[in-house]
Amino acid sequence: MNDSNIVGQWTSAPGAHDIVTGKARYCPDLRLPGMLIGKLLYSPHARARIRHLDVSKARAIPGVFAVMTHEDIAGENSYLYAAPDQPLLAVDEVRFQGDAVAAVAAVDEQTADAALNAIEVEYEALEGLFDPLQAMQAGAEQVMSGEENVMMSRTYRSGDVEAALAAADVIVENTYTTPWAEHAFLETEGGVAMVDDEGVVTVWSSCQAPHRDRMQIARALAVPESMVRVITPYIGGAFGGKDEAHVQIHAALLACAAGRPVSLVRGRRESILTHVKRHPFIVECTTAASSDGRLLAVKVRAIADAGPYTNATHEVLNKFGEFIGGPYQVQNLEVEQIGVRTNNPITGAFRGFGAPQAAFVYESQMDDLARKLDIDPLQIRLLNGVDTGTRMYTGVVVREGSTMKESLRKAAEMIGWEKRNQSERRPASHLRRGWGMATILKGSGLGRGLADHAGVVLEMHRDGSVALRSGAADMGQGIVTVMAQLAAEKLGVDISSVRVVRADTARTPDAGASCASRQVIVSGNAVLEAAETIRESLMTIAAGKTKISKDRLELKGGKLLVDGEPHALSVADLALRAIAWGYPMHAESRCHFEYPDDVPEVTYKYSQEIFQFCTHIAQVLVDCETGQVTVERLVAVHDAGKMINPGGVYGQIEGGCAQGIGYALTEELVVQDGHTQNASLENYVIPMALDLPELEMGVLEVPEPSGTPLGAKGIAESPIIPTAPAIRNAILDAIGKPLYQLPMNAERVLAAVES
Amino acid sequence: MAEIDIRMTVNGSVQQLKAGAGRTLLSVLREEAGLTGTKDGCSSGDCGACVVILDGQPVNSCMVLAPQAEGSQITTVEGLAVDDELQPLQRAFAETWAFQCGFCTQGMLMSCHALLMSNLNPTREEILTAISGNLCRCTAYQGVVKAVEQAAAEMRSQDQNRHE
Repeated sequence: MNDSNIVGQWTSAPGAHDIVTGKARYCPDLRLPGMLIGKLLYSPHARARIRHLDVSKARAIPGVFAVMTHEDIAGENSYLYAAPDQPLLAVDEVRFQGDAVAAVAAVDEQTADAALNAIEVEYEALEGLFDPLQAMQAGAEQVMSGEENVMMSRTYRSGDVEAALAAADVIVENTYTTPWAEHAFLETEGGVAMVDDEGVVTVWSSCQAPHRDRMQIARALAVPESMVRVITPYIGGAFGGKDEAHVQIHAALLACAAGRPVSLVRGRRESILTHVKRHPFIVECTTAASSDGRLLAVKVRAIADAGPYTNATHEVLNKFGEFIGGPYQVQNLEVEQIGVRTNNPITGAFRGFGAPQAAFVYESQMDDLARKLDIDPLQIRLLNGVDTGTRMYTGVVVREGSTMKESLRKAAEMIGWEKRNQSERRPASHLRRGWGMATILKGSGLGRGLADHAGVVLEMHRDGSVALRSGAADMGQGIVTVMAQLAAEKLGVDISSVRVVRADTARTPDAGASCASRQVIVSGNAVLEAAETIRESLMTIAAGKTKISKDRLELKGGKLLVDGEPHALSVADLALRAIAWGYPMHAESRCHFEYPDDVPEVTYKYSQEIFQFCTHIAQVLVDCETGQVTVERLVAVHDAGKMINPGGVYGQIEGGCAQGIGYALTEELVVQDGHTQNASLENYVIPMALDLPELEMGVLEVPEPSGTPLGAKGIAESPIIPTAPAIRNAILDAIGKPLYQLPMNAERVLAAVES
Repeated sequence: MAEIDIRMTVNGSVQQLKAGAGRTLLSVLREEAGLTGTKDGCSSGDCGACVVILDGQPVNSCMVLAPQAEGSQITTVEGLAVDDELQPLQRAFAETWAFQCGFCTQGMLMSCHALLMSNLNPTREEILTAISGNLCRCTAYQGVVKAVEQAAAEMRSQDQNRHE
C-alpha cells in the first residue's frame, strides 16, 4: 500500500455531503409519528432525603402520556456503568444536583414542563460533603450509606523511592489542583425511542458505545437484549462525555410506558449540570534528581473528587498513575491514588482520561526542576526521555520510542527554541513574553489484560459496491472515514464505492466503545482482515480469467491491473463472477488486539503499550496589569504512526490544542456547595475563533510495530494533554513565577505576578 | 398561547407558518418548516449552531422571535445547494475537513456564506471575525479559514469567467 491514492490522502468524510447540506440527522432532528417530548425532573439539592413524591397531579394533565418514578422501573434502576450505584431515578435520596427523580413524556414541550411542575416532591435537605479532604477523614458522614467515602485507595510502587529521595541532590515538591472540566460537545445528550411493530424497543442514541447501551436499556426494562435495538444517528461530539449512558435509557423507559415514541434531549444547562465531568484532582508531587538533571524518583499522592457515584473513577485514577512518570526514564516511583465520594458533580471519562491532570503535574515539575538546576527545559527532557527499548516503571517496554525525542527536537526547531531569547521579552513595561514546552505520552487501546476487540462485516456486491457494517460509533472523530479508506484501499475501489452502515445493533457487530483512542486499531484491523477475504476471492477469479499469476495482479481504482497496466476487467466484473461462482464476498472479522507477549514483567494493571508521543511549545504574552495571558504561538508535534486520514489527524490535533488552551486558561466549572454556578456556554468559556493563535502542527509518521493497521496509532486523546503544562511553563518563563492551579485565569496569573 | 400566521420566504419559497407569539425563529424553522439542518446548541445565543441568514444578515435564530421574521427572506443551510449541487463553500468545507462532528457546521456555513456575499476576498482576520460567534469544539477554526479562502478563490475566478 505504498503508492496509495486513498490511505494517507486527504479525502472527504463519507458523511460530509449530508453535513454540509443539512441533511445529516442527529438525535434532536429525528421525527416519528406521534412522537412525544420526554423530560426529567432533577433535584434542586446537592443532597437531600426524598420524604414524599407524588406524581398524581402530573399524570392527570391532558396530553401527558407517562410519568415515571423509580417505582415504575421494571428492571435495574441503575446506569450499571462501572458499579450499580447511580440510579436512573432516585429512590429515597438525591446525592448531587444531577440526580433525576421523575421522568415525563407529553405531547409537547409546554405540556411536559407543566407535568414537571405538577410533580410534588418533599425534600429534607441534608448537609452535603463538598470537600474531598474532609469527606475522606475517618468518621465523616457517608455520601452513600454503607459505602466508604474513600471508594478507591491504592498505591503502586516501583523501585525504592525513599532511598532515591535520600540520595538525591535536588528535590522539587509541590501541590497541584485541577478543576472540573466540561466536554461542551455542541450536541447535547439525547435519545429517541420507540417500540416497533415486532415489539423491539428501538433507540436512537447519541452515544459512544451502542452495544453497551443495548445491555443497559434491556436491563432497565427487564426485557431480553434481543428485544432492544440501538442505532447511532449522526453524533455531535462526545470526547468521553457520552461514553457512559445519559438519557437514552430514560427515553426507552418512557416510550414503553407511554406506548408512543419519545424524544428526550437535554437542554444546555441541564447537560452541564448532569453529565460526568473531568475529575478535579489535588496532587502532591515530589520529584528528585541528581545535580546533572537526571530524574531519580517521583512520589505522588493524588486525590480525585469522584462525586457521589463510582462512574469511571477507578479507571481514570489508574491511567493517572500509569502516566504520572511522564515519558521519562524514571525507575523509582510511588503513586498513591485516592478516589473520594462527595456530593459534587459526577465525574468520568473526558479525553485523556486522567492523563491531562498527570501531565500538568509532571511537566510543571520538570520545569521547576530545570530552573532549580539552571538547565534548559529542552535539555532536561532530552536527557531523561525514553527511547525504543526503555523499560518504564510500569514494566512496559517502549516498542517504538524514537518519536519522544524527535517530537521535542522538531517542536523546538519549529518555534525557534534556541533563538527565543533574541525575541522581545518585554515589549512594553507591563507585558512579558515567555516560552514553555511540555512533552507527553498516552497509550491507545483499553490496556493489557482487558478484552479489546471489534467486529466488522464487509460485503462486496455484483457491481463492485461495498457495504461496511461496523458497530463503532463515530462521534465526529472520523472512524467511519478511516474504515472506508482501509476497505477501499484493500479492495481496489474508490472510497465513494464504500457505504458505511453506521452503528446499529441490529445490523452491525459489536465494536465496543469508541474510547481510549482504540477504534483505529481494533476496527481498522478487522476491516483489513475482512477485506483480505474478499480480495482473495477477486484475485482468484482474476488469476483464473487472465491465466496470469496473482503476484502480477493488482486491484486499484476499480480496475484490475496487470503488471501495473489496466486490464479490460474491472473490479465489478470480478465481483460479478466471484458471486456467481460462490466465492466468499461477504466476510465477518473480529480483531482481538493481542498485546505482544514479549514483556513478562508488566506490573502495572491494564497498562497501555501503544504510545502516542507528542510535544507542544507555547509562546505567551502576559499582561502584568490584568493577568491576561495571550497564547501568541502554539507548536504541536504529534506521532500518528502511519497516518491513514490526514484530515482527521490534523483536525484532532487542532481541536485538542484548542481544548487544551481552554483547560489551561479559562475552563472551570465553578461549583459551590455542590451547585454549578456557570452552567451555560456564556459562562463556561471555551475557545472561540478569535481566542486562538494560528496553530503550527507537525506530524511524525513512524509506523507502530505492535500489529496495528499499517502501523497507525490512535490520535484522539494526546492533543489535549500537553497544552496546559506548556502554557504554564511559558507563563513561568515570562513572569518568573510558577502556577500550580488550573485554569490559569487572569485572577490567578495576576496573583502570581503580584506574589 | 394564541397562534398567529407568519409569512416568510424560506430558501426561495413563500411559507405560511403558524406559531405562538413566543416561539423562536429557530423553533419554527425546525418544527413547522421541517428544516432541521439548523441546530439548537444552547438556546441562548452563545454557540451559533442556529445561525441563518435573515434579510442578508447572519442571525442566531434562537434569539429571534418568529413574528419578528414576518415578511423576511430567510436562507438556511438547506438553501445553499442549488439543484443538489454543492456550492464552492460547501465543497470546500467537505474537502478541507472544516468539521468533525458537523453539529456546528450548518451555523458556521451560514456565517461564512454571509461574509462571502459581501466580501469575496476576506482576510484571515475577517473570516475569524465572521465566525467569532460560532463555537466549534471538535476541530476549532483553522479548517474553516482554509475552506473559506478556498471557496472565495473559486468564487472570484467564477466571477471573472462570467465577466470575460
